[in-house]
Amino acid sequence: MEEKILTKDFGLKNLFKIKVYLQQGGYKAVKKALEQMRPAEILDEVKKANLRGRGGAGFPAGVKWGFVPQKTDKPKYLCVNADEGEPGTFKDRYIMSHNPHLLLEGVIIASFAVGIHSAFIYIRGEYEAVADRLEEAIAEAKADGFLGKNILEIGFDLEVVVHRGAGAYICGEETALLESLEGKSGHPRLKPPFPASIGLFQCPTVINNVETLANVPAIILNGADWFVKKGLPKDGGTRIFGVSGMVKNPGIYELPIGTNLRKIIFEAAGGMKDGKTLKAVIPGGMSAPILKADEIDLAMDFDSLVEAGSMLGSAAVIVIDQETPILEVLKAVSKFYSHESCGQCTPCRIGISWINKIVRRIASGQGEKDDVDAIICLAENIKGKTLCPLGDAAALPILSICRKFRQELEGQLSR
Amino acid sequence: MVKIFIDDKELEVSNGLTILRAAEGAGIPIPHFCYHPAFAPEGSCRMCLVEISGLPKLELACSTVVREGMKILTASEKVIEARKAVLEFLLAEHPLDCPICDKAGECKLQDYFEEYGFFASRFKEAKEKREKKVQISKNLILDRERCILCTRCLRFLSEITKTQDVGVLNRGIHSEIAVYESNFIDNHYAGNLAELCPVGAITDTDFRFKTRAWFLVKKESICPMCSRGCNIFIDSHPGFARTPLAQRVYRIRARENQDINSFWICDFGRYHYSYIDQGRQERIVLKKEAKDTELSWEKALIILAEKVKSLVYLKKKSRIGVILNTWLTNEELYLADKVFKKGLGLENIYVVDPPSEKGDDFLLTEERTPNRRGLKEVGLPDLTPDLGKLALQTDLLLIFGTFLVGRFSVTELKSAFDKIGTKFLFAAHKSALDSLVDVVIPTPLIAEKGGSLTNVNGKVQSFSPALDNSLGLPEWKLLIDLAKELKINHKPFWQLSSPQAILEEMGRGIPFFK
Repeated sequence: MEEKILTKDFGLKNLFKIKVYLQQGGYKAVKKALEQMRPAEILDEVKKANLRGRGGAGFPAGVKWGFVPQKTDKPKYLCVNADEGEPGTFKDRYIMSHNPHLLLEGVIIASFAVGIHSAFIYIRGEYEAVADRLEEAIAEAKADGFLGKNILEIGFDLEVVVHRGAGAYICGEETALLESLEGKSGHPRLKPPFPASIGLFQCPTVINNVETLANVPAIILNGADWFVKKGLPKDGGTRIFGVSGMVKNPGIYELPIGTNLRKIIFEAAGGMKDGKTLKAVIPGGMSAPILKADEIDLAMDFDSLVEAGSMLGSAAVIVIDQETPILEVLKAVSKFYSHESCGQCTPCRIGISWINKIVRRIASGQGEKDDVDAIICLAENIKGKTLCPLGDAAALPILSICRKFRQELEGQLSR
Repeated sequence: MVKIFIDDKELEVSNGLTILRAAEGAGIPIPHFCYHPAFAPEGSCRMCLVEISGLPKLELACSTVVREGMKILTASEKVIEARKAVLEFLLAEHPLDCPICDKAGECKLQDYFEEYGFFASRFKEAKEKREKKVQISKNLILDRERCILCTRCLRFLSEITKTQDVGVLNRGIHSEIAVYESNFIDNHYAGNLAELCPVGAITDTDFRFKTRAWFLVKKESICPMCSRGCNIFIDSHPGFARTPLAQRVYRIRARENQDINSFWICDFGRYHYSYIDQGRQERIVLKKEAKDTELSWEKALIILAEKVKSLVYLKKKSRIGVILNTWLTNEELYLADKVFKKGLGLENIYVVDPPSEKGDDFLLTEERTPNRRGLKEVGLPDLTPDLGKLALQTDLLLIFGTFLVGRFSVTELKSAFDKIGTKFLFAAHKSALDSLVDVVIPTPLIAEKGGSLTNVNGKVQSFSPALDNSLGLPEWKLLIDLAKELKINHKPFWQLSSPQAILEEMGRGIPFFK
């Protein structure tokens, strides 16, 4: 099997301890970056590696760093998006709990490259033990001189603070995350301005997903070419696929970007559980449009999935079997997004709640003949018209479920 | 400047302008709820979405800045459908209680539905139940079912009053505007919120259930309650043919003037309007031995002129006193100067105004009268009378306004007035002075006459009558008549027949009024 980048040492006992991590060659990347490279060189290397954001949107990390103005009177900030809330997604939790120092290395290198002295790890509130572990790791790194004042005695300072969220999915949206971090309720901001120019406390800010930053040390140690070869030319490296649902071995699987979806389900995850039949797959977290069983011969990379009408998102693969009524899936999706809408903009606040009310009525046996059409029309009226991506995150899976499983849904309508 | 196209109309607009502002400037209104020119774009109502050629999604007109060559469609099928969609969403969870809503007739939600809608609702589900009567300030009631969460109120309280009294609590469909715990909106600009609310979510107890918006005649005026000179609308009800109403004025609203009051007025100016319809002098009355005789102005004028003439003839003009006030317009003060000081050469000219009170650091000033600056620019002395002295040196007293009542006790006034031979009172309101004087002549209020006022910063603002005046002649007219009757020779000046003409004449003599 191909060499893993992020999870290769996950089997080691106490990898989260800096002593063990150092024995595995930990913090070599930080030493190389800070002692031998200039910030511009790091930026170039990450750009060349085509490291695309692992949170869902897939924006190239190096380009994002490059947007931050070099000359500014204001402090710059790094926010690590660890608000892993997309249903089906649990990869960042594994990284942070098994290998927190890998993330910290990424944080240090990114901060050095962009000229940042304060970094925040915004972690979802439910990840209590993980947050504790991160804090322990930060204390260890500080004690060993990798964080704090005058890191590696090269005159670079960096403080990292773990900030626990309060349980809102929307705070994973980068500008809502900033609002929340500032102590306000998590309402996404209007863009532009983008966080790279006006972000946390009105200062230039980089926001990266945990997995994105965890890839940075390997890029520094092995070079961009090595990283690109791990995945695809425009989409470098590996992805941690979090497979859940009706498979024999649910869990995380780090595989090259572009690995076939069928291979992930039937080889990596051991195929369907208890001889069940595959019905559908949600390939990139709950907000990704659903794929039918015959649509899964797909390379799992950003562009291939967009071509297939879905998205790679957080690479969380949710496997649904024939016995699961599609109405249950629709119910789960509409309930989740209705509950998690921040309520700021009209289509998302009222539209998703409306869809959820219709779905609940159908589930209670009171469905009416034009209900599926109504849901499709309402979802179309949300799609592309909301302030932040949450509207699309709800509308797209709902549309795909209604269109691909219309017959089954209409069978549930009583009147 | 950049060149853009809105609905195929080619326009040259300033750099940095948003599509919404550019379109409005070209007379193309773009519907919106959350956008308000006083605040940064919020982008949450999604009503102002427009199509921009070459872009896949609709974009916000309120926040998207124009670029050279941009082609904007504000009425394409896609745009109309998007507007309908927003309206359908908002109305789905709206109580549709327009028949009992005070905003009906001037509600953006209602108006846009008329424009884009008349579609039947597809909403078959149960609406969210919310509180309909939350007292959020002394005068304001919040109806959470009607609220569309535009957050204009929130932004007003954080950006304008900076009191930050309200927030959006809860999430998603349960989001609601709420006053923070143990808090209450307690500032004297809160009245602006009912006006700012684009729907009927915030209503004003002062107006609530009193009348319907479409009956009201909306006329421009200037607030006389302090020397700021805030621009206002006076909304009055003309009454019904067979059912006369006890009041004409139902509310005062702010009128935009970026040089003076932006979009706002204070609550002192907003809620002080009952004086316009209450306690008014209605007739010219000669009071003689406890008997009132109604007079025409012509008769009263002759009596007054004869009194003046005889004192002048007897070389006793020093025994004529005049008490002015600064609720008088620039024109009236100018005429008072021309007639009394320059024409007759009187020396005992005084000013009695409402007493000063504490102002604030925004609009409300200490001077609770609109034209003290005008008095100064006209060149009249600002002297307060000593009642005792006045009583001893005066045979004829002309009193403008009733502000003496606030300055002196009735006993003091009576003992002084008893010593003065003849007293003429020119006043809009009944007061304790009525029984102490010989002739009472009703005058109109600022809302009922035309003229100009000079605000605290020296800004001269002209205004026209906002209300009909059937009670008495304006003071400028009375003064011109008096001058004519006294044959005070001031060229063709006395043929001036309007405040505008007087102001023009003033401009020729006093550079300030040019």
